[in-house]
Amino acid sequence: MEIEVTGAKILFELPFGITITETQVNMWIVMAAITALCIWLTHDLKVRPTSKRQIIAEYIVKTAENFVTSNMGAKWKWFVPYIAALFSLAMFCSLSSLLGMYPPTSDLNTTAGWAIMTFVMITFYKIKTNGPLGYAKSLTEPIFIMTPMNILGEIATPLSMAFRMFGNVASGTVVSALVYAALAVANNALFGWLPGILGEMGEKLPILQLGLPAILSLYFDVFSGVLQAFIFCMLTMLYIASAAETE
Amino acid sequence: MIIMAGTLDFLSVNVWHILMAIGNLLILVLILKKFLFKPVQNIIKQREEEIGKTYSDADKALNEAKAEKELYLKKLDDAKQEADDLIKTASDRAKAESAEIISDARQEAERRRRSADEDIELARKKAAAEMRDSISDMVITLAEQVVEKEIDPKAHASLIDDAIESIGE
Repeated sequence: MEIEVTGAKILFELPFGITITETQVNMWIVMAAITALCIWLTHDLKVRPTSKRQIIAEYIVKTAENFVTSNMGAKWKWFVPYIAALFSLAMFCSLSSLLGMYPPTSDLNTTAGWAIMTFVMITFYKIKTNGPLGYAKSLTEPIFIMTPMNILGEIATPLSMAFRMFGNVASGTVVSALVYAALAVANNALFGWLPGILGEMGEKLPILQLGLPAILSLYFDVFSGVLQAFIFCMLTMLYIASAAETE
Repeated sequence: MIIMAGTLDFLSVNVWHILMAIGNLLILVLILKKFLFKPVQNIIKQREEEIGKTYSDADKALNEAKAEKELYLKKLDDAKQEADDLIKTASDRAKAESAEIISDARQEAERRRRSADEDIELARKKAAAEMRDSISDMVITLAEQVVEKEIDPKAHASLIDDAIESIGE
């Protein structure tokens, strides 16, 4: 039995070598779903709320604001939509695998893009806070010879963030595929020896595959997906807030 | 546009896909801002304004009520004062009138007492005069009998009167 683990399916190819894969299409689907959810939650808002919808919408906004301001401080309130977008996109992209879709977060390009955004903002705030010279100088500390290590350290931040999320989500897919395949083999071994039509049916019916993959999916897709989205947002906020801190 | 069959490698790096991921994220930021944060924050702001307005209205009403209460208390005080004044005036007048009545009565009594005194005096004098006359008559009669001769009352009146005067009244 052969198990193939691949990346996203390429769906379209545009000029200049641009390809549109499942990653992009699924991300657009997720974005459309989030947009629809937002519009549904916030239509017909009232000063005196009468619907549960509005209470949920206000709860989401307040929670997002608290999440950002408690980690970064009140002056970062403008940053709330970015973190909310990052969190919701990462979470729903990971959760999309529950619907049998290819999760966009198991594509390294996706997580790398988001990590690069974080890196750009970290560097921007470091330069803004300390000045270009101060930033350059901070790379040569404590002694000049440490400069390559410091640069490596700077790059390691987005790299580790990108690979952490990608690794968690993609490994979930891989482990699920492996377990599913292993269970199929075990299923064949268990029921395949039955004589005649019973044996053929036993091989085709995925009896053993019923329970365990669901539990694994609960961990890899739901728990890990939400947790990784949370960690990604948390690291983004903490790195950027500490980069903007004046010492 | 060509529809392609095929897959990416499990680990592949594509600059376009990285840029698209970033672009998608930024687009979602704008979407969330427009469709979630703006409307909810607007409604929360409106609610805060309404609550502030309610509070200020309540404060205003309370102040008005307080002012009206002061006004009523003042009016009540004024009324009390007025009533007190009325009672005081009335009682003063009553006192004055009663004093006048009493003094009138006293004067009247005094006048009556005086007239009574005069009457008594007059009566006494009259009685004394009568008595004197009768006594003088009696004395003359007695004396006539004693001296057996007629005494001329006219000739001896002053003598008899003197005698009575000296006896005392």
